[in-house]
Amino acid sequence: MSRTGPKAIYNPRIPLMPPLRSRLQRMAYATLCVLVFLSAMHAQKWSGAQAQLAAKIITLTGPGTMALELINKSSLPRNESDEIRRGILTELASAGAQFVAAERAATAVKIYLSEDLTNYLWIAEVRQGAGEPAIAMVSLPRPDAPLSEHDAITTTIHKGLLWSQDNRILDVAVIDGNPSNMLVLDESNVGVYRLQGVRWQQEQLLPVTHSKPWPRDVRGRLVLRKDHLFDVHLPGVYCKSTAGAPLTMSCYVSDDPWPLGTDQAVLSAFFAPSRNFFTGAVAPPLGAQNSVPAFYSAAFVPREKYTLWLFAAIDGQVHLVDGMRDQVAAKLGWGSDIATVHSTCGSGWQVLANTSSNAAIDTVQAFEFPDREAITASQAADFNGAMTALWPETSGTSAIAIVHNSETGKYDAFRLTIDCGR
Amino acid sequence: MTRSALLSIVAASLLASVAFAAVRPRYGGILRLTTGVAPVSIDPANSTIDTLATRNIYRLMFDTLVVLDTRGKPQPALATSWQAEPGDQRWHFQLRPGLTFQDGTAIGADAVAASLRAANASWKIFPTGNGIDIECQSPEPSLPAQLALPAYGIAKRTAGKLAASGAFAITRWDPGKKLTLTARDDYWRGRAFVDSIEIEMGKSSRDQMIALDLNQADVVEIPADQARRATAEGRHIANAGVDLLALVFSRDARSADESKLRDALAMGIDRSAINNGLLQAQGEPAGTLLPNWMTGYAFLFPAGLNLAGARRMRAETLAVSSWSLGYDSADPLSRIIAERILLNAHDAGLTLQLANSATPDLRLQRFPLDSLEPHIAITRLAAKTGTLLPKFGDDSPASLYAAEAALLQSKRIIPLLHVRNSLGLGADVRNWMSDRDGTWHLEDVWLGAEKP
Repeated sequence: MSRTGPKAIYNPRIPLMPPLRSRLQRMAYATLCVLVFLSAMHAQKWSGAQAQLAAKIITLTGPGTMALELINKSSLPRNESDEIRRGILTELASAGAQFVAAERAATAVKIYLSEDLTNYLWIAEVRQGAGEPAIAMVSLPRPDAPLSEHDAITTTIHKGLLWSQDNRILDVAVIDGNPSNMLVLDESNVGVYRLQGVRWQQEQLLPVTHSKPWPRDVRGRLVLRKDHLFDVHLPGVYCKSTAGAPLTMSCYVSDDPWPLGTDQAVLSAFFAPSRNFFTGAVAPPLGAQNSVPAFYSAAFVPREKYTLWLFAAIDGQVHLVDGMRDQVAAKLGWGSDIATVHSTCGSGWQVLANTSSNAAIDTVQAFEFPDREAITASQAADFNGAMTALWPETSGTSAIAIVHNSETGKYDAFRLTIDCGR
Repeated sequence: MTRSALLSIVAASLLASVAFAAVRPRYGGILRLTTGVAPVSIDPANSTIDTLATRNIYRLMFDTLVVLDTRGKPQPALATSWQAEPGDQRWHFQLRPGLTFQDGTAIGADAVAASLRAANASWKIFPTGNGIDIECQSPEPSLPAQLALPAYGIAKRTAGKLAASGAFAITRWDPGKKLTLTARDDYWRGRAFVDSIEIEMGKSSRDQMIALDLNQADVVEIPADQARRATAEGRHIANAGVDLLALVFSRDARSADESKLRDALAMGIDRSAINNGLLQAQGEPAGTLLPNWMTGYAFLFPAGLNLAGARRMRAETLAVSSWSLGYDSADPLSRIIAERILLNAHDAGLTLQLANSATPDLRLQRFPLDSLEPHIAITRLAAKTGTLLPKFGDDSPASLYAAEAALLQSKRIIPLLHVRNSLGLGADVRNWMSDRDGTWHLEDVWLGAEKP
C-alpha cells in the first residue's frame, strides 16, 4: 500500500537563533555542567560517612603508613563502591595517612562495605601487629529499592504507565480532555488528579467510607458517568460523586450489581461482598440465562445478532455464554482477569487476558474469537510483577491494568491499548 | 552467607511468592499441615515448645498489637499507634477500634491488658480508654518490636478456654494431636482465603513426607538433610527462615584455662564439613548468633576450621576437658552432628562424650530466629541460652556488634550454623510466602484447582 503525504516543508531559521555549532557547544557545556553537578551530588551522599569512618580509622592507627583494602559485601554497585573508596582514601590522606604496599605497612586496614536490613554498614578492620584486630564502623540508612523507570514499550499491546503508588490501586479512570483528569481508586480514597505538563498533580482526595473490613483480595471499579462524574463499586459499598464543583463523594452500604461492560455492551453482575468474585447473577439476563457460573471477570465479543460473553470463572475455566448455551472454552491457559478492548485492528474486538504461568512476571495477550476458538491476536506484553486488576475503561477502547511491581513494591497502573503496528 | 547464596534464596522465595500470579486467589478449601512438634498448650503466653511451627500456629490465632515489616520495623496491627514517654520506660498504645475475639466480645483495653499481663507479669499494664499504658521495669526502647513476638499474641482466657483475636478461630483442639482452625469472616484484615486449617501434630518426618506424597497433607516439614533430595525427587520445597545451630554450655567458664578449652573447641569444629556432608548444604557456617543479612557484620567472626589454632590453644593449658555433650535424642540428625563434633573435638585434643542426661556440660541446640529486629532477636537468644542479657548503648549497628561480641566473649555459646528451614508444599498450594525470620502468611495462601 502506498501512502501519499504532503511534501515536507522546512521553516526558515529564526533570525535570533544562534548557529547550530554554537548551539551544540552550549548543549554540550550544559550537559557537562549537569553531569558534574550530579556527580557532585552523588559524591556528597557519602561524604559524611566517608569522613566519619576515616576519622575513626585515624583514631585507631594515628597518621602514618597503612595498607588499605576495600571489600564490597553490600548491594552497592561497583561504581558506587569505587567512589566510596576514593572518598575514604582522600579523607585518610588529608588526615596524614600514607598508603603503601602491604609488606611495607605497619598497619593493615580492611574496609568492608556491608549492609543489614535497614542500613549500609561500613566496617574497618584495623590490624597492627599480631593482636586481635580493632573494629570501627559507621552506618547510614539504606534506602528502599529504587523506583525503576518504566519504559512505555510499544508492542502490539501498548502499555502506558499512568500512575504508581504504595497503596494498592483498585482501578483508574482517565477523563481525556484539555487538561486531562485522572481518578485513582485505592482501598481508602479516590484520588483526583489533573495533568499539568507531563505530570499528574493531585487536586483532591475523596475518602471511601465503609464499616466492614475489606476482603483480603479487595477489588473495586471506577465507572465514569454522564449525569455525574463517576461511580465507585467496592465489595458491599457503592459511592457516587457529585456532578460538578465542589466535587464530593458519598458512599453507601449496597449490594447493587457492578457494571461490567463498556459503552458498547451493557451488563451488570452481583459481587460477593466478602469474597473476590461475582456470584454469577447478572442483569439484564443474557438471553435465556440470568445467571452464569461464579466468575472473576468478564469480556464480550459483539456478533451480528447477539453478544458473546466470556466469563473467567472461579473454577479456573472460561465460559462462553451466548444467551442460549454455556460452553466451556478449550484449554486456554488464561488467568483470572479478562477485558474487552475495541480497536481498529483485526475484527475490531480483542479480548485481553492475563496468562497463567509460573514465571515471576505476569503477561497480557490479546485474543480474538472468530468463532468459539480463541486466536492469538498479539504478542504477550510482560509486566514486572503480579497483575492485581484488569478492567475495561468505560469508553471501551482501552483497559486498565494494575500491577504489583516486584522490584519497587509499588502498585503501577497502566493503560492498555492495541497498537496495530501499521 | 555468600551473596550468591543469598541472592538465590531471595530469588527462590520471590518465585515462590509470585507463582501462579496470573490467577486470582480462590476462596475455600482446607489447608492441611503436619508438624513434628506436639504441644499440649496453644496458649501463646504459656508456650513450652518454641519452634518455628508453634510460633506460626500462634500467629494464625492470636494477633499482636504490632507486627514487623520485612526490614524489622514495627507496623500497626491491633494497635494503631504508640508513643513512649521520655526514658522509654512507659509506653502508650492506641487500640484499633471495633475488633472482636472469635466469641464476639470486644478486643478492648481491659481484654488486651489482661492478655499481656498473662504474657509478662513484670510489666504494669493500665487500660486507658481506647488504649493501654505499659510500664516496664527498665527502659525498653524496642518495646513495640517486642510486642510483635507471638508470645504477646492477644488472647481471651476464660475457664481454661482460649478465644482467638486473629485471622482464624479455634474450632477444635486435641492437645498434642490435632488443631482445627476456621477462617473468620469478620477478620479486620480481610477473611483468609482458605476456609479452614487442620494441623496434625507429633508426626515423624517420614510420616509427613508420605502424607505429602499421598496428597494427605499440603504443608509438611522437611528435615534439612532431606531437602535437597526432596527437591531432586520433584517435590515443591519452600524455604522458611533460618535456625541457629549452636553448642550451649550449661554454665560460665570458671577459669581462663576453661575459656581456652572452649575457644579450642570453637576453632576445631569443621562447620563446612557438617554443612556440606550432613546437612546437604542447607545451612551456612556461623561465627555469630545472628545471620549476616540481619547485622551486616557476621563475616568479621571466623567460622572456618582452624585446627592448628585449636591444637595450639589446647596446648596452652594443662586443664583436662571431659565434657558431656547433650543433643535432641528425638532428632536423628542431631545425633549425627553431635557425633561429628565429637570427632572434631578429638582431633583438637579435647574429650567429649555423648550424654543422655538432662544436665550435660554442653548441649547441641537449635534456635529459631525470634524476630527480624536484631536487638530483640539477640536478647531472646541470650535469654534462652542462659547468658547475661546484652546491653545496648543505643540502637546503632555498632552497639549491636559490641553487644554480640560481648555475648560471644562469654564463651557460653558456640555458634555452628545457620540452618535453613524447609517445607514441602502440595501441588495445590498457591501464594506461599515466608518472611526471612520464618513467619508464614497462611492467611494469604489459597488452594488452586487444576485447570482442564
